[in-house]
Amino acid sequence: MNGAVHGARRLRAASAGNGVLGVLIVLLIGLTLGMGQLEPLFRALFPDLGNPLYARDSFLNLMLAHIGLVLMSSLISVTIGVAAGLFVTRPVGREFEPMVSSLAAIGQTFPPAAVLAIAVPLAGFGFAPTIIALSLYGLLPVIQNTIAGLGTVPQTTLEAARGNGMNRWQILRRVELPLAMPVIIAGIRISVIVNIGTATIGSTVGAKSLGTPLIAGLVGNNLAYVIQGALLVGLLAIVTDLLFERLERRYSFGS
Amino acid sequence: MIELQGLTKSYAGTNVVDDVSLTLETGEFGVLIGPSGCGKSTTLKMINRLVPLSGGRIILNGDDVTDLPAEQLRRRIGYAIQSTGLFPHWSVAQNIATVPQLLKWPKSRIDDRVDELMAMFHLDPVEFRHKYPHQLSGGQAQRVGVARALAADPEVLLMDEPFGAVDPLTREVLQAELKRVHQQTGKTIVFVTHDMDEALQLATRIALLNGGRLVQYDRPIEMMVKPADDFVREFIGQADLGLKLLSRRWVHQYQRAPSLEHHATLPGLDHCWQLDDAGRPVALEGARLDDDHGVTPVKAEWIAKPEMSMKEALSRMVWYRVMVLPVVDDAGKLIGEIGMQGVMGIQAEAEGRVS
Repeated sequence: MNGAVHGARRLRAASAGNGVLGVLIVLLIGLTLGMGQLEPLFRALFPDLGNPLYARDSFLNLMLAHIGLVLMSSLISVTIGVAAGLFVTRPVGREFEPMVSSLAAIGQTFPPAAVLAIAVPLAGFGFAPTIIALSLYGLLPVIQNTIAGLGTVPQTTLEAARGNGMNRWQILRRVELPLAMPVIIAGIRISVIVNIGTATIGSTVGAKSLGTPLIAGLVGNNLAYVIQGALLVGLLAIVTDLLFERLERRYSFGS
Repeated sequence: MIELQGLTKSYAGTNVVDDVSLTLETGEFGVLIGPSGCGKSTTLKMINRLVPLSGGRIILNGDDVTDLPAEQLRRRIGYAIQSTGLFPHWSVAQNIATVPQLLKWPKSRIDDRVDELMAMFHLDPVEFRHKYPHQLSGGQAQRVGVARALAADPEVLLMDEPFGAVDPLTREVLQAELKRVHQQTGKTIVFVTHDMDEALQLATRIALLNGGRLVQYDRPIEMMVKPADDFVREFIGQADLGLKLLSRRWVHQYQRAPSLEHHATLPGLDHCWQLDDAGRPVALEGARLDDDHGVTPVKAEWIAKPEMSMKEALSRMVWYRVMVLPVVDDAGKLIGEIGMQGVMGIQAEAEGRVS
C-alpha cells in the first residue's frame, strides 16, 4: 500500500520531470535552428547595435561543433579516467592510487585557459589544443568517482562473489561495475557539464563552438552576441544534466 | 568427505590456525566453534581457499583443494556468510542462480532449480522471484543466501556464522529449516558459529578450537559428557548442561506406550488418557502437579511430537504443570506418552556413560 503510494508519487515526479525535459529540449532545438526569428526582439532590446544577430556562422553549425568538442573530450576523459580508476583499485595498481589522485587534482587546479596556452605551442591552433585542455580538465571527477564508486561495493559482497566462484573479471563486470555505476555516472555528469561550459573558451584559440559568438560579443562589445551564445550553452548544459540524471536513476536500484 | 591434515595458517609468524587435523564424513554436519580469534573462520575459508593455506593439506572427496583452480573449486563448494553477501543489484532469482550461471547451465534448468530451491526454503516464487535483496527481511535474505549456496548442488556447504545477524526468533526458525534441509539433501556441511546452543542444535560433529588449535572433535553428546579439558567444560557451560543434553535427545527415543487406564499401583503416577473416536487425546485424568485426580483438557500447545527435543518436551511439562505429555503422530493420533521420569532417565543414562 505504502509502496504503491510511494511508487505513484515517484511516477508523477518522473512524468513532471519528463515535461520539463521535453520543453527544454524543444527550446534548445528551436533556438538553435530559429535564432534568426528573434532578430526583431534583439533589435528592440539593443537599439544601439547595428548588427544584433550573430550571423557569421549558423547556430546549428556552432552547436554541432560545440557538441563535437564536448563529446570528443569527454570520451577521452571517461576512457582514461575510468581506466585509471580501475587500475588503481586493482591489486597491481593499488600503490599508484595516491599518485594518480593527486595528478588528476593538479590537472584540475590549472585554469583551462592556462592549459590552452600551454597546448597551443604543442598542438597548434584550433580543435586539438581545445580537446587536450578539456580532456585534462574533465579527468578528475571521472577518476575520483570511479575510485569512490568502486569503494562503495561492500566487502561482504565481494567475498560472496569470490566465494561463489567468480573470477576477477566476472567480479568486476558483474558485481563491481554495476554497483559502482551510479557514482561513476555522477562523475561523468560533472565532467561533461563542466566541459560544456569550458568548451566556449576553445574559441579563443580558434576552435569553433558556441563560444565563438560569445567571444566575438565580448571583443566587439556586442551584448546580444554574448546572450545568444550563453543562452544556447546554458540550455545545452541543463538538458544534458537532466539526461544524465535519468541515466543515473536507471542504474541505481533500491532505496 | 573433507579431510584437514595438519592445517596451518600463519600471519606474520603467528599461527592463527595451528596443525588442525580432522575428518568430516559425507553427510555430516560439522560445526567449527570457539571463542573469537580461535581460527574457526580462517579454517573454514581455507577450505574454499578464500584464505591461502600456510601448511598442511585439505582433501575434498579425494582431491587436494590446492590442485584445483580456485574458481572451479569454489563452484563445487556452497558458501553462505553472515550478512548474506547477496548481490544488491540482482533479484532473488538471479542471486540464487549465481553459480549455475557461472557453470553455464541452460536457462530452463536454472529456472527449474531456482523454483525448487525457493520452494525448499518456503519462499513463494511468484512473490519473491523478482524482489531485490533490500526488499527482504533479514530471515528471507538469509534463506536466499543459503539457497544460493546450494544452487549448483555443491559437494559441500560452507557456512560462516550465517545466522549471526538475525534476531533470536528468526534464528531458531532458520536453524530448524537448515536442519530439515540437511536431512533432505544429505549435504556435508561445515558451519562456523560461536554459539554453543546453535552448535548443539545442528551439529553431528563439533570441533572446538582455541588459540588456533583443535581442542576437541566429537559428537555433541560426547563433548558434553566427556569434555577433554576444563576449557571445553567451561565453553559448553555447566549451569544448564542437563538442559543442553536434553536438547540433543528426542522424544521418540524415550516415549512409552500411553496409559489408557488407571494403575493404582503407581502412586503419584496414576493417570490415563481420554481419546476421541479418531484416537486423538482429549483429556488427561490425573498426573497434574497440583491435582492428582483432576481432569485436564489436552491443550494443543503441550502435545509432543516424536521428533521434538526432550528439552522442549520438558519445558512444556514445566510450563503446563503436568507430569506427562501425549505423543501424537502427524494425524494427531495418540501414539505414546512422555513422562517426567523419561527426562530423569536420560540424565541417569548420560551419567552412566561417563563411568
